[in-house]
Amino acid sequence: MKKSMLTLFALACLLSHYVVGGPVEAAKPAAKVSKTSCATCHTDLSAVVPKGHPPVKGSDIAACLGCHKPDASGKAAKNRISTGLHRAHVGEGGKVDCMMCHTWKPGKSFGLQDQKVSFGSPTKDELEAMKKVFASWKSSGYTDTLHGKAGIVCGGCHGSAMAREGDTVENSRCLECHGPMEKLAKKSEPQDFPDRNPHKSHLGEIACTVCHKGHAESKTYCIECHKLFKMKKIPGGSASQ
Amino acid sequence: MKKEDLSQKGVSRRSVLKGAAAVGAMASLGGIALNLAKPGTAEAMVRKLPAKWDETWDVVIIGSGFAGLAAAAEAAGAGAKTVILEKMPIYGGNSIINGGGYGAWDDKLHLRKKLNLGDDSVKQHFDDTLKGGDYFNIPELVDVLVKESPAALNWMIDEGGLKLREVLTRGGGHTAYRCHFSETMWGKDYTEALKKIAEKRGAKMVLNSQVTWIWRKDADPKSPVLGVEVKRGKKILNLKAKKAVVLASGGFGRDIKMRMEQFPKLTDAFNSTNHKGATGEMIRYAQAVGADALHLNFIQLYPFADPETGTLDTPAVFPFSGPGRGAIYVSKNGKRFVSELERRDVCAFAQTNMGAAMKPTYTIFSADMVPLMGYKPAELEAGLKKGRFVPANSIAELAKKIGIPEAALVETVNKHNQYLKDGKDPDFNKPITKAMLPLDKGPFYAVAQWPAVHHTMGGLRINKNAQVIDLFGSVIPRLYAAGEVAGGVHGSNRLGTNATADCVVFGRISGTNAAKEKAL
Repeated sequence: MKKSMLTLFALACLLSHYVVGGPVEAAKPAAKVSKTSCATCHTDLSAVVPKGHPPVKGSDIAACLGCHKPDASGKAAKNRISTGLHRAHVGEGGKVDCMMCHTWKPGKSFGLQDQKVSFGSPTKDELEAMKKVFASWKSSGYTDTLHGKAGIVCGGCHGSAMAREGDTVENSRCLECHGPMEKLAKKSEPQDFPDRNPHKSHLGEIACTVCHKGHAESKTYCIECHKLFKMKKIPGGSASQ
Repeated sequence: MKKEDLSQKGVSRRSVLKGAAAVGAMASLGGIALNLAKPGTAEAMVRKLPAKWDETWDVVIIGSGFAGLAAAAEAAGAGAKTVILEKMPIYGGNSIINGGGYGAWDDKLHLRKKLNLGDDSVKQHFDDTLKGGDYFNIPELVDVLVKESPAALNWMIDEGGLKLREVLTRGGGHTAYRCHFSETMWGKDYTEALKKIAEKRGAKMVLNSQVTWIWRKDADPKSPVLGVEVKRGKKILNLKAKKAVVLASGGFGRDIKMRMEQFPKLTDAFNSTNHKGATGEMIRYAQAVGADALHLNFIQLYPFADPETGTLDTPAVFPFSGPGRGAIYVSKNGKRFVSELERRDVCAFAQTNMGAAMKPTYTIFSADMVPLMGYKPAELEAGLKKGRFVPANSIAELAKKIGIPEAALVETVNKHNQYLKDGKDPDFNKPITKAMLPLDKGPFYAVAQWPAVHHTMGGLRINKNAQVIDLFGSVIPRLYAAGEVAGGVHGSNRLGTNATADCVVFGRISGTNAAKEKAL
């Protein structure tokens, strides 16, 4: 991917991009909130980074950004900071308030405290929906959680623009990491009945999202008609299949 | 067709809905729209036309099966900016999972002559179709179907790259060998060919787009259809159709409530061969803006579906293709119960009338029949491997394996073999032909079968131009329908393989005529 694929919530990427991209000027907070330094909760930042991580100098996010360069694909090891930060801070069920770090004027801007940057302009409804998606991404067990665990943030699938409700993901995007389709088909080919292959079915090439739902339970579409097929459990789906 | 047929007769009369008409007459866009969906309620009078359109197209086609794709190909080919709206996440509806048969009395390859399978004609196809539908069919629609069917098949071959198998079968109710089959014996061969033509000509397809309303201002015969309301994800959009809306949304075999309203016997105890999107709501939306519908209680059961799931898999087509080559149907008692060349309704009800305890019945065929039915050894192998076909070297062994009385089955087969020699079937009066083989040489096979809801013959009333007709007999301007959503082509019972032809023929007509409308 050549195109920069920064996401709204790929906070570290964006921040680093911003920092690396030019000198940081003192900016007025977008909204009136008290500045939250990492040190407010974490007296020693070195203690919360992964094992073997070099020592951290400084007490806020800027300390991270010198090394953690933006990564468009959303899957490079160094980008895990964004995934890691969000996964750690989004509480179960989205309980942690986004406003601990972010600033927001409904429908106008969404940024970071002390940073002159806006990632989009979500309305109240959109932010609520986003919070639900984040909670799902963290712990639902759906495709989003599986990606989250692998270090993939929103932009990994949705691209640089802020993902909106109802957005879908094209096959080409999925196949960049999981493809080519022939490889998937080989992997999912049943030994007993090779033609009962969800990745090579009589329907031809269909959208991945027909079965693989990002933020909902995945379901094997074949079962809709072929009720008696015994199929492997689909990742991010219920165990009953 | 004559040009004047296309323009609706300007019969001047008052709208039945005087209130709606009075308000509607004053209002332009943003005014009041007709809504018969909830008569007597406030909502019936206050459904507002959209104040603005989110998208504008020349021709909006609803449904991406044979009919919708054919309509799109012709509309786009005539220069109309055309979109196909498909509510499901995959294209093709029932068409893409259909058994790949296409009824035509001739084709550019002249297969019947090549395979030495006797005579056929336009008239014979016409007569069979009407007889098979108990003469409930609208003759002028059947006339279009049988006349245009070969040309539509040739069109898909020439422009869409469709490939046929070198086989012709004689399905129940047909008096000639005229059931063509595509290369893989899947409807997908046709949908891919049609999609190729449609896309080449510039039509666009949008999946996950469910139409939730048809916009029409008034029930006055001069009031045209203006566009549709569409649900896409959680978004509601309004699409303007400058020229026409074509309904190609299929039948309602999977809407249990709707089918039971028309035919109470078809409870949820019946499986269906249909995909889950076959729920018929477009018929109701069209009725809600004045469209007439007919024959809704004529619902076809596919007599030979997989008894367990109701799917129409490849093995389930063998019982349809087999009788012309000598295959027989037997009950659990080891006895024949119907003329195997009978129409689908007769074959289906002969089974269901025996009661649910007699489920399933079986088709018995032999290895020698398989290639003559058009199947490859691999297809027989696949059916065996899946356990759908049960093999045996003798009829007695076969009976034992499927758990039916040996003596009875042996006797039935011997009798039937004699009938073939005699050229006469005194039990069920089946018309014996020379193309039929006796069951005297193994290996033999049995495939279990039971009826499942398959095709809804009824639907919206159309004329030969595929224009939708209102309750008073006038054309609803700029509204077309083709394929299973339309009624009247097949009467009380559709002959197998006539549906694909119906869809492609009337799909083409609807698309051609939709594109001819003067843009609003």
